[in-house]
Amino acid sequence: MDSTQLTTLTGVIDKKMNRQLKQYLDICARCAICKDACHQYVGTGDFKYLPARRAELIRQIYKKYFTKTGEFVPALYEARDPDENLLDELYDSTYACTGCRRCMYYCPFSIDTAWILSVAKAILIAAGKGNEMLGQLADAAIFKGDNAEMFNDVMVSGFEDIQEEVRAITGNPNSQVPVNKEGADILYVALAGAHSIRPAAVIFEEAGENWTISMFEAANYGFFYGDVEKARLITKRYIDEAKRLGVKEIVVPECGHAYRVAEFFYEAWSKEPMPFKISHILEKVDQYIKSGRITVDKGLIEGKVTYHDPCQLGRNGGKFEEPRDIVKAVTDNFVDLTPNRAEQWCCGGGGGIVAMEEFKDVRLASGIKKVEQLKASGATVLACPCENCRLQIEELNEVHELGLQVWQVIDLVVAAMPLKGTKPTHV
Amino acid sequence: MSDETKIDLELDLKGLLCPLPMVKVSQNIGKVEVGGVIRAIATDPGAMADIPAWAKSTGNEVLQAEKVGGEFVFLVKRVK
Amino acid sequence: METYLWITSVWGIYLTAVVFFGGMAWRIYQWATTPKSPVRLGMFPKPKSGAGRFGKLLADTFIAPQSAKIEPTMWIFAMAFHVAALGAFVGHLRLIREFPLLPAWLGEAGMNTFAAWSGSIAGTLMLVGVLFWIARRTFGPYKNLSVPEDYLLLFLLLGVIVMGDHMRFVYGGVVHAATYREWFVSLLTFKPEIPAELLASNVGVSLGTHMLFTDLLLMYFPFSKLVHAIGAFSSNLVRSE
Repeated sequence: MDSTQLTTLTGVIDKKMNRQLKQYLDICARCAICKDACHQYVGTGDFKYLPARRAELIRQIYKKYFTKTGEFVPALYEARDPDENLLDELYDSTYACTGCRRCMYYCPFSIDTAWILSVAKAILIAAGKGNEMLGQLADAAIFKGDNAEMFNDVMVSGFEDIQEEVRAITGNPNSQVPVNKEGADILYVALAGAHSIRPAAVIFEEAGENWTISMFEAANYGFFYGDVEKARLITKRYIDEAKRLGVKEIVVPECGHAYRVAEFFYEAWSKEPMPFKISHILEKVDQYIKSGRITVDKGLIEGKVTYHDPCQLGRNGGKFEEPRDIVKAVTDNFVDLTPNRAEQWCCGGGGGIVAMEEFKDVRLASGIKKVEQLKASGATVLACPCENCRLQIEELNEVHELGLQVWQVIDLVVAAMPLKGTKPTHV
Repeated sequence: MSDETKIDLELDLKGLLCPLPMVKVSQNIGKVEVGGVIRAIATDPGAMADIPAWAKSTGNEVLQAEKVGGEFVFLVKRVK
Repeated sequence: METYLWITSVWGIYLTAVVFFGGMAWRIYQWATTPKSPVRLGMFPKPKSGAGRFGKLLADTFIAPQSAKIEPTMWIFAMAFHVAALGAFVGHLRLIREFPLLPAWLGEAGMNTFAAWSGSIAGTLMLVGVLFWIARRTFGPYKNLSVPEDYLLLFLLLGVIVMGDHMRFVYGGVVHAATYREWFVSLLTFKPEIPAELLASNVGVSLGTHMLFTDLLLMYFPFSKLVHAIGAFSSNLVRSE
């Protein structure tokens, strides 16, 4: 391969090098215990989706260019150049990975394959092989951030429509969807879709919260794409807005990676301490219910209800109990999936894979464990606080004819609230 | 204007939640020739910002973005 | 024979000690001087206290309960190997000095019997562990994951173990710890000699070959994946960051 390209790609590894990455690359014993942890390898049996294999491709480059033994005896490690063959396999195994880190959970050395693959994404982007769709989605979000005034009118008009819907649900003509309200306590950073705003607004308003919404959504396709600078810019849009509005707390919506990005990644990207408390909306809702700020009735939700831990919120975010407590507050008919919490199977829809049509077959095949779990639970309603999980599970629901209703947790809460208005139809 | 524009591809994006309408437009833009036009109908209000922002950042053109009843109708022209 | 032993079991050991300790120091220095990941890479559930983190680190590193849950067979073999290797290591400390207390309790004959039993069990478990790994690598559906390094290490380990077992099972009743100690202590005091009793017995070939494989394994150790022996502590600690 040509030397300029080679210098560029090995330079990416050099720039991204840190202690954890180095140790992960040095110590993996290729014991393959991770094979049974990965929903994609289990679902497809395809070697390239074995977690240790995904990481091995980066290790092969690392061995050749960053270790003496690999430089002198490359054959010992199958060390090689990041040529087209390697990059093609790397593209598949990296962008298909949902970043669930279930392999890390079971690894005897806790090797974070997703962290190694963040370097893989940087290499692919430097080689001009970043995923186009994720890149476009990231660019569109950055464009929206740079040209907010261009979209102001349509968005405000959209929020007004949602406000009407909220009033119809609460039966209270004074219910608000406050937009860019200075001095609010909470900035709710929703997803772009109305479904993410409407039930949250009902709950905030009924709880008497001093909250506001802004122009910017929480989804971060720069994170999935693997470009740290794009990812930082996308999150910075709402951090800056929160500073301008003077809020105390940022609340992220039912979206897995949004919470992880805000709570765990943004400080490292921006190199400054996070000036706000970051909460997940279900932490707030759980508090509202427990403190009596909102009322929920049991018996309004029909059927057996189960709960799926989104990987980024559960294993990688630590929010296992709040969502379960909420679901148990709205129904007595709750059954957990097996396994659950930290051992929960990834549904197969994370990491931006639902937006990448080329991985559709892998994605659906990788959902087989989730399908088995859902069938075994006997549940008819699934509560799931992650957009990507819901999209995936709804598709699995159709393909496997599970007859399941897939709900946001906040939709369940609104359905269980004794409100004067009309019950919303479940989205 | 929409009366005169030749539509090369119709996309029904009703019921899809953001950012999927933008994703679907992006996935399908390659199916029309350069200069061709997609008509997409979405129901999620977020699309009113998402699809134009996508078009601007990818160098395509939104000829029309209108709210018609409860639906949002887009005419997107492939520029490159 | 004498030359073979001088190469593998005297000068070879000195060279190995330099390469092994120097290599490990270099490895640790490299890890220590590379900046930490800016992102906290921990996962949940995560202990809140420092003591809790330390406890989890020890449990994850020495027992690997999650690995046990997902692949019990592999865990049992790996555990058996590592525990047996630790036992063998402790047993080899008799090369430096006789254990305190034990010989007094057991008597000389009793001590030899104890060493024979414990050494045989450890040697057998390690052999079984390595054979299992070789089979798993060679016949598993994910066999393409393995690289030559994996087989080289298993080959060296197999050599160490087979020759060690040979000494244990064939010469265990002939040459006892005191004779080997004479040789090993002479190395430690930099007055190397090979005891006449070793040369007189036929154990020399086994010892020399056992040491040849050990020298090669330990010299390669710091540059191989075997550095997980120390790296695992650090990477498992990151889990609860």
